[in-house]
Amino acid sequence: MPDLLELTGVSASYGRIQALSGVSLSVPEGSIVALLGSNGAGKTTTLNAISRLVPVQSGNIRFDGKPIESMASHRVVEGGVVQVPEGREVFRDMSVRENLEMGAYRRKDPKSVRADFERILDYFPKLRERLQQRAGTLSGGEQQMLLIGRALMARPRLLLLDEPSLGLSPVLVQQIFGFIDRLNKDGLTILLVEQNAAVALSTSSYAYILENGELALQGASKELRHDDSVRRTYLGH
Amino acid sequence: MTIDVVFLFLQQGVASGLVIGSVYALIALAIVVIFKTSEVPNFSQGEMVMAAGYIALYLLVFRSMPLWIVMPATILAAYAGAALFRRLVLNQVARANGSPVNLVIATLGLSYVLRGFVRQTGFGDTPRSFPPVIEPQSIMIGQAAVTTLDLVILTTAVLVMAAFFWMFKYTKIGRAMRAVGMNPKAAQLVGVDLTRIHMIVWGLSGGISAIAALLISPKVLMTADMGSIVTMGFAAAIVGGFTSLPGAVVGGFLIGIIENFVGLFISSRAIVLAPFVAIMLVLVIRPQGLFGGRVEIKKV
Ligand SMILES: Nc1ncnc2c1ncn2[C@@H]1O[C@H](COP(=O)(O)OP(=O)(O)OP(=O)(O)O)[C@@H](O)[C@H]1O
Ligand SMILES: [Mg+2]
Repeated sequence: MPDLLELTGVSASYGRIQALSGVSLSVPEGSIVALLGSNGAGKTTTLNAISRLVPVQSGNIRFDGKPIESMASHRVVEGGVVQVPEGREVFRDMSVRENLEMGAYRRKDPKSVRADFERILDYFPKLRERLQQRAGTLSGGEQQMLLIGRALMARPRLLLLDEPSLGLSPVLVQQIFGFIDRLNKDGLTILLVEQNAAVALSTSSYAYILENGELALQGASKELRHDDSVRRTYLGH
Repeated sequence: MTIDVVFLFLQQGVASGLVIGSVYALIALAIVVIFKTSEVPNFSQGEMVMAAGYIALYLLVFRSMPLWIVMPATILAAYAGAALFRRLVLNQVARANGSPVNLVIATLGLSYVLRGFVRQTGFGDTPRSFPPVIEPQSIMIGQAAVTTLDLVILTTAVLVMAAFFWMFKYTKIGRAMRAVGMNPKAAQLVGVDLTRIHMIVWGLSGGISAIAALLISPKVLMTADMGSIVTMGFAAAIVGGFTSLPGAVVGGFLIGIIENFVGLFISSRAIVLAPFVAIMLVLVIRPQGLFGGRVEIKKV
């Protein structure tokens, strides 16, 4: 499979804080690739560099073979790279319906937008019940579903997922990851950022581990699960 | 003061208050829409009104253009000027140093530039009057005396506000503006072009300021300092909660009415105090403003 996304030697900083130095990784089309690491390792920064929310100091980012490291963020979304941010980044005072419709902001094919809208509500029946509710009043799990639904409304080719399990109960985590699996089976390529290494390694085919903004380790997820240092540091057993 | 006089003053105060208040409401709306989408109080709003007034005056009196060209030309010029200021100046300032304080200082800078410019041209040296759109004729509503010009002012302002609210609530671009106001990062992640939205918001704010200028100019003497009318706009915005667009409108009408009541019942010399009294009352009774939402604690 050709790489849908490819980072080569990407560095990024916030003022004097060097958040990423020389990160290279690739995401083959149709795969789930995991990006792991402890707090402050630079996972979110990596996704935001791809989404063009933080400037890339040096290095290249290629999507579908084309350089995107100096594109504007809305162009990247238009191209099919869509992020599900960590935390509860919904449009609080808009209804669930409006939030989902905002996801399709850059699309110009209203017919298929409506079809996607229905399909996403079939995926998340909970959201269908709450279409008119203010997004800010949804529970944490519902907001996470809304965020994923909103991203899907953009019809992504590559989904960037930032800690989808954060703050969710084990049952919900299972549900969300079952869903991620299903999206992937339907053909969606996914770059998955997680702190929950156990779940991430069992869902992904390949994984990278970041430490202090640098790649520390990479390999097939199956093998990393049995790697001693990974088990000690990230799996806790 | 007999009960008859009180009753008369009440009617007159409400009528005149609604007229002038509709202009305050427009200015407050222009202030709040910028604050909501970029968290910058625009301290050049008053000078935008003033500059638009002088553009209209220049075209009408010195270029002898007909009114039906002057009005759209003035609104367009204000739209373009404000949008370009956002794009060329504020974007640069934001990129150089993200601190909102610098943005506020930049808007203060613009207010000095505009005032200085009008003084330079010599236009502002003598107070001038803007010819009225229509010949004012007196009419009575109940016991209140108003003019046809007053009715035109009030009607136009209400229509403009209605159009603005419709745009903000029901159009795609309006929804994008709301999205940027709620969560700029999430807006970018769904593909909203922040630069473009900010330009449009500033443009609309400039355009609304120009409309306020066209409405108020026939009723006041124009000077380079006429931008001080913005005090009433800020008072209206604060009374309304500063982040609420309906609040800005209600605030505008309230300030207009209070101002007239103070003038009629107390003394015309006390009018200047009216907006501050209104602000204090609201801040004491309801610190978040009449329409300000619950005080939200931001997650860190
Ligand atoms: N806006 C910012 N300004 C300054 N420093 C930042 C900013 N965002 C992140 N950082 C710093 O950059 C480094 C990497 O942060 P990042 O958010 O990418 O980590 P992360 O791996 O996503 O962590 P977590 O698992 O806690 O979400 C951290 O040291 C963080 O403090
Ligand atoms: Mg993170």
